[in-house]
This record gives sequence, C-alpha cells and structure tokens, in this order.
Amino acid sequence: MNRATDIVVIGGGAIGGAVAYYAARKGLHVTLIDQPKRGRATSASAGGLWSLGESVGLGCGVIFHKAQLDAGTAAPGHGPAQLPPAFLDFAMASNAMFPQLAQELHDDVGIDIELERTSLLFLIFDEGDEAFARTLWKDCPCGRQLIDWLTPEEVAAAEPALTRELRGALRFNGDDQVNPYKLADALRAGAIHHGAKLLSHTEVVGIEVFEGRVQAVQTSTERIPCSIVVNAAGAWAGQVGRMAGLDVPVYPVRGQIVGTQSLPHLTTACISTSDCYLAQKHHGEVIIGSTTEHVGFNVDVTTSAIQTLCAGAVRAVPALADVDIKRVWSGLRPGSPDELPILGPVNGLRGYLNAAGLFRTGIVNAPLTGLVVADMAAGDPVSHPVEAFLMARFQNGTQVVAGDATPMRQHGMASAK
Amino acid sequence: MTAPLVIIGGGPAGMATAIEAAKAGLACTLLDEAPRLGGQVYRQPPREFRLTEQQMHNRDYRRGAALRAEFAAVGDRIELRSETAVVGLEGGHEIVWTSREASGTLRAEHLVIATGAYERPVPFPGWTVPGVMTAGGAQSLVKTLHVQPGRRALVAGTGPLLLVAANQLHQAGVEIVAVLEAGRPTWSPRVLPKVWGEWQLLHDAWTYWRGLRRARIPVHFNHTVFEAHGRDEVEAVSYGPIDPVTWQPQRERVQRAEVDLLVVGFGLVPNTALAELAGCRHEYMHEVGGWIPVRTPHMETTVPGVFAVGDGAGVAGALVAIQEGRIAGISAAERAGVLSAAEANRRRAPALERLRSLARVRGLLDEMSRLRLGLSELAAPSTLACRCEEVSLSEVDNAIQQGAQDLQAVKLLTRLGMGPCQGRNCGPSMAMHLANKLGRGPADTGRINPRPPLKPVTLGAMAQLNVSATADADLAALAHGDPR
Repeated sequence: MNRATDIVVIGGGAIGGAVAYYAARKGLHVTLIDQPKRGRATSASAGGLWSLGESVGLGCGVIFHKAQLDAGTAAPGHGPAQLPPAFLDFAMASNAMFPQLAQELHDDVGIDIELERTSLLFLIFDEGDEAFARTLWKDCPCGRQLIDWLTPEEVAAAEPALTRELRGALRFNGDDQVNPYKLADALRAGAIHHGAKLLSHTEVVGIEVFEGRVQAVQTSTERIPCSIVVNAAGAWAGQVGRMAGLDVPVYPVRGQIVGTQSLPHLTTACISTSDCYLAQKHHGEVIIGSTTEHVGFNVDVTTSAIQTLCAGAVRAVPALADVDIKRVWSGLRPGSPDELPILGPVNGLRGYLNAAGLFRTGIVNAPLTGLVVADMAAGDPVSHPVEAFLMARFQNGTQVVAGDATPMRQHGMASAK
Repeated sequence: MTAPLVIIGGGPAGMATAIEAAKAGLACTLLDEAPRLGGQVYRQPPREFRLTEQQMHNRDYRRGAALRAEFAAVGDRIELRSETAVVGLEGGHEIVWTSREASGTLRAEHLVIATGAYERPVPFPGWTVPGVMTAGGAQSLVKTLHVQPGRRALVAGTGPLLLVAANQLHQAGVEIVAVLEAGRPTWSPRVLPKVWGEWQLLHDAWTYWRGLRRARIPVHFNHTVFEAHGRDEVEAVSYGPIDPVTWQPQRERVQRAEVDLLVVGFGLVPNTALAELAGCRHEYMHEVGGWIPVRTPHMETTVPGVFAVGDGAGVAGALVAIQEGRIAGISAAERAGVLSAAEANRRRAPALERLRSLARVRGLLDEMSRLRLGLSELAAPSTLACRCEEVSLSEVDNAIQQGAQDLQAVKLLTRLGMGPCQGRNCGPSMAMHLANKLGRGPADTGRINPRPPLKPVTLGAMAQLNVSATADADLAALAHGDPR
C-alpha cells in the first residue's frame, strides 16, 4: 500500500483543521482537502465557547424556542431543549482544552486565536425568562459551581451598557469566546507545521471503496490512496458520505448574523437573551445572532431576520441603536436529527471516520473532536468516550433520547428524510 | 403598502422615468438619497449659494434645469421622497428604506432601478493618502460646497469626466499642473462620420478642450500616476508614461510634480447592487464599466416588472440615461395597463431613435477609455487593496498562490470586501488584478455579492422597521423552520 498518506481529511473548517492538527502531531501522514464554500459555518460563526450555555439551551436554542412560541408551534411553558449529559461532558472537556491549545498554536505558528475569558450572561427580562432561569438555577447539570444569579444592581455594576429593564441575569462562568477565523487558520497552519499537506480550493469528487474498505479519495485533479478518510465537510457532510455509499444524516441549518462596526469596549460578557445573542469580539465588532432556518443551501439574508436581531440587540444594549450595521451574513450549521455530533467509525465500512453534525457547537467542540478522531485514526486509546455520538444510533434505531421530544427535534427528524 | 411604480434614484435616468410615467397617468414614487433631485451630474447647489454667471451658462446646469422644469410640470403626480436610502430589496419587489426620521418597507408592483454609477477605484502606492481625491469627489466639493480642494493639482485617469473635472477645478481657482490621460487622443477626422448629428456631444468636448487650451494646461496622453508621496497629506506625485496598448507603467521614465492635490478619475462602475438583490441576471461588458443587468430594448431586466436604466445599467452618461429613463417610464405604464401597446410604441419611438444615434458616439468614447489590465500593475505589494479591512495586495497574492481563482475565494481567505463598502472599493480593481495574474478575462474572476443593508444604517433604524405582511409571513415560516 502507498503510505504517502495515512489519512485524508475532507473539510478545512475548524473541525477538519483540528483533526488534521492532532493527527499530524501524532506523526500520521495527513492530507487536508479544503474547498471554501459560501455559508461554511466556521467563517460565519460568532466563536462562542458556550459549552454549558449551549447544553442547557442558551445561545440559539432559546431564540428559536421563543420564535416558535410566537408562531404558536411550541407549547407554552416548555423551555428550550437541553442536550444529554454525554454531550455536556464532551463539550465541557473540549472547552477545557482551549487554554493549552491556544498556547500550543501560538508557539507552533504564531497565531493568536483571541481566546477571551468572557463568561455568558443570560438576561432575564420577563416572567418567561425568569421561569426558565429558575429551572436552570435549580437543576443545572453542573450544579451551581459554574453559575451565579445576578441581581439587577449586580448586572448594572458588571455590565453598565446593558439595559436597566432587567430582573437579573444568570452568569455561566467558563463559557468564553475565541475568534473562529483565527482558530481555523491556526489549526490549518499548525497541521502544516507538523507535516500535514494542505490541498486548498480542491473539490473531492469521489471516495473509492473496495471490499468494505476505503482505498482512496478522488479529487477533481488527482487520486489520493489512503487508509483512513475523515468526513469533516460541515453542512456538506451528507454529500461526502454518499460518495462512500453512506447516508450521513447531516443537513444545512441556516443562521443569519448581524455584525456592527468596530466599537470601543461595550460589553465584557457574551450575552444571551430570548431574542438574540451578542458577543463583542477582540477587534470591537459586536456579533449578533442568530436564526435557525431549514432552507437548504440558501445563504441569503432576510429583512425580517435582520429586523428581529437588531430589535433584540437594541433591547439588550440600548446604545447599539445609534451604531451602524457593518455587515449581515448567514452560515449553514451542520444539523443532525438529534442535534448531537456524529463522530467516529460506521458499521460496514473500514477506514471511514465521521467528524460531522457539530450543529451549533463546532467551534467549542473542535479540539476534542479533533483529538478523538485522530486517536481513532492512529489506533490509540480514545481520549473521551464517543459511544453516544456514533452514527449507529440512527442505523439501529436506538437513538439517544434527551428529555422531551421538542417540536424542534421532531422537525429536525422530519427534514432529514 | 403597495405602489404601482417605484423609481429608485433621482438622477437624470430616474427623473426621466418619473416624467414619462406621470405623463402617461401612472402614479409613481421616487426615492432619492440626496436632499435635492439631479443625481451626481445635475446636482443642484444648496439654495443659499448664488450662482455665478459662468455656472448659469454651464451646459450641464442648463440641461439639468430643463429636466427639472419638465419634472415640475408633472410633479403633482409624483410622490418624491428625498433623503431616503434603499438598504434592501426582497423578492424583487419588496423595498426596505430608511431616512433620517423613519424606516419602512414598500412594495412595488413595478420597479425602476436608476442608481447610477460610482467611481472606479484604482489602487496605486499612496492612493489612500489625504489629498488624493476622486474626480467626482473634487467636483462635488467645488459644485455644491464651493470649497477649493487644493491649491496645486495633478489630474490623472481616463475618459471625458477627467476633462470636465479639470475645467471645473481650474474655474474654482486651483492651479492644474497637468492632465494625465491614460488613453489616446479621441478626436480625429476619421471619427467625424460617427458623431455626425450629435452636435451637442461634439460641442461639449470642444468646450472642455478649449477651456484647457486657454488655461495652458498640458494634457499628456498615455501617461498616468505612479505614486502619491506624503504621509499625512499629499506632498508630491510621481507619474510617467504607460504602454499605449497594455497600459503597463514604464517606470524608467518617471517624473515628479510637487502638488497638494491629486485628482483621480478612471471612469465609473455601474452600481448594480439592487439589480443583483432583485435577482436580475447580469453580464460582463468591459466597455460600459463591467457587470450590468441583461435588459430588453424596453429596459426591462430578466425579472418581470423590474427595469434598470442609466449609468447603473451600463455607464453611458446623462444624455443616454435620460432616454433610457423615458423608455422605462413608458414601458412601465404600458405594463401597468395605463397605456395601450400602440400608444406606448408611439411614445417610445423618439427616445429609441435618439439612443441609436448616441450609441455611435458612445462606442467611440468607450473604446478610448477602455481600461487595460496593465493598470493593475501600478500597485505595490504593500499597497492596500481593501481599505475597509486593510488587506494589502501581497495578502491577495498569497491567497492566489494558495489556489484562490476568483474574488469569492480571495474574500474567504483574506476578508477582502467584508467591510462596510461591500467590495465597491476593491472588487473592480481586484477582479482586474486576478485577471492579469491568472491570464483570464475579468468576467471570469467572479464578483463580491452585495448584501443588505446596502447603505450604512443603524441597528436602531432596522429595529424600528415595520416589516410588512409579506415579510411577516417569512418570519412565521422561519419559526416553523419551513423550507420556503
């Protein structure tokens, strides 16, 4: 067998970059193939590392839930869905890798991924918000060691730019942020630094399988023999799966985002409300997200979404009313039927590994996803259990169930078909 | 709210559209960004200024006044909304607008896009130093603010607007060291048959030439600017000859002039952002500024009911814009059912005939100032390609080295075009740079897609937006997660 390449990673976003980085560090011969596409989620992302917040339904979850309540498609009283403990454990472990990863990437390639200790604040405007916050305060899966309940006075002291129309806020310590572009750039450069080969602007057109084993990856220009192929193609993972004869249930979920002009320091924490989330980045831009839409690979932006996000942002931070919008864009999250990642090997095809379906949490989960997939590619003991994330959960009908089946989840399953 | 006809842009093309639609009896709404009608070319000075004798006799002024008189005669049938910017367009007909006081949406049954053109940015070392100004920028300082933008100036670029700007600056008291025209001389006996009958244009050109001649301002053909020197303001400019065919700079013959103002005008780029948001198909026509919407002879785009007229649909100047506007106004009235086909044809005929005549001259001007790819070699590696995101030319070249083959790929790798100007300042020049580097046509280097908001707008204005019924339906669809 040609040993020039052990592992081909398809997809050069944060996930593919992380797999390539950790695999190259293990001494594997890595080829990373990237074809930048409109809507790639890494470039569109806000870069929040909200491992706890996302697990309990903050960020986009609570926004989507409110949109459903307004449209009458969700039963009132139900908060947004929580993800299962296996996911929380994974996300917390991945988030914990960032300080060391930031240091290593800086040492390897001199890129600062702009890791900032921000924490995440959930703002409590009304009764509905308060009821939701109370449940979290009572039953937070991490106990209370990572969360604080802030009185209105404490919120005003900590974040003077926030509206005074608040009943308080919940602070999630440890839910921080990075610059997603810089992270992806640094991971790709780091992979190259450790010996990986990058084929950028290269389209994968086929995966060659013989007797139940991956043989090679075919690009538009060459055939690359390999023993392992990793599907890290983001929203396009379903298409790459089909090249290997697999039905990988990943589909695009559009999120629209508003970015402001660069501003002087306005907020320290990342903010989550039932209208939007806000994150002021290192260079001063405030990123305001985001919708949850099933519109295929369409990356348009819509007036109604921009209006809703702007209104939500101004409600939370009144001073934003006089700030110019710099840019509006949309990204395609790689959604899966149960909103959980799809990782690792599949039944009946040797040499194939998924690093797919990371949905809203591709940035925070990039380090651990990269590490465990690299472990599997190298045949090393796997650093974190991934049983809950195997694709077999769909094939065998033994799907991991997390709490109540919410309308969001039901819808997701329907549209995957 | 639904309007039978909405015209976006109050320059010559938009005004002419409104005039003909109103004459035909079709109520129309004209949205204009400026406080007063006229666009760039027929821009009116603020009322506080008294016009000089010389300005009163200026041809553009007289033509603008004639058009305004025609507009005033039917003005009661036109709803004019000044100082109103269009920031978005959905589904081809749903307009999102903002003004200083309010914001809202407006549904247009028929839509005429008359958004004009913007000046083509050409990067060269020092192009961002204060004191380097576009021809249009310098003109509007002189025309509407009565401000003298410098004391001693060099004027560089190509095309007829360069001569106009040089004349106006001279009249405003600026000392013009020289005019550097990258193209070749326009007028020769050979071209006379082509312009036969278009005496107005011929006379315009002659007037501008005579003006420069009388002022003893030298015009150097096949010359252009190489670099603007100075840190906080322009102190001097290097310039020299360029290859007559390729326009590559011949740096061994560089000269230097001590000036405090450099006026640059390399022609115009059609502003097609709204036509793109409307979903109109576009084609690349280098001679008229690049990408333009595909149109029928009646100015209708590939989206039914959406028309595009004037420089925004291909740069050709105010005289052409007026005729295109007339045709679109009549055609919109016909489509709306207030004019019969026969009557519409009768009314369109003179404008169509006039356009044919103007097209002959237009071909000539187009050829003279057709941009050549060698111009993209003026920039140095450290020259800023994207001013908003501060991306240098060497970063763009790195991206090309990594395999980027078009603007979209360069954007993803460098953030080029991601700033508030949405690529207007870098898109056209970097398309040419990519074409020059990769040996392709500029048509094959892609585009940077416009996104709403097209104009600077505050979050507050967007937050107050009264999203109309159709958009509300969109919102409900989003909440359901339904594919639309």
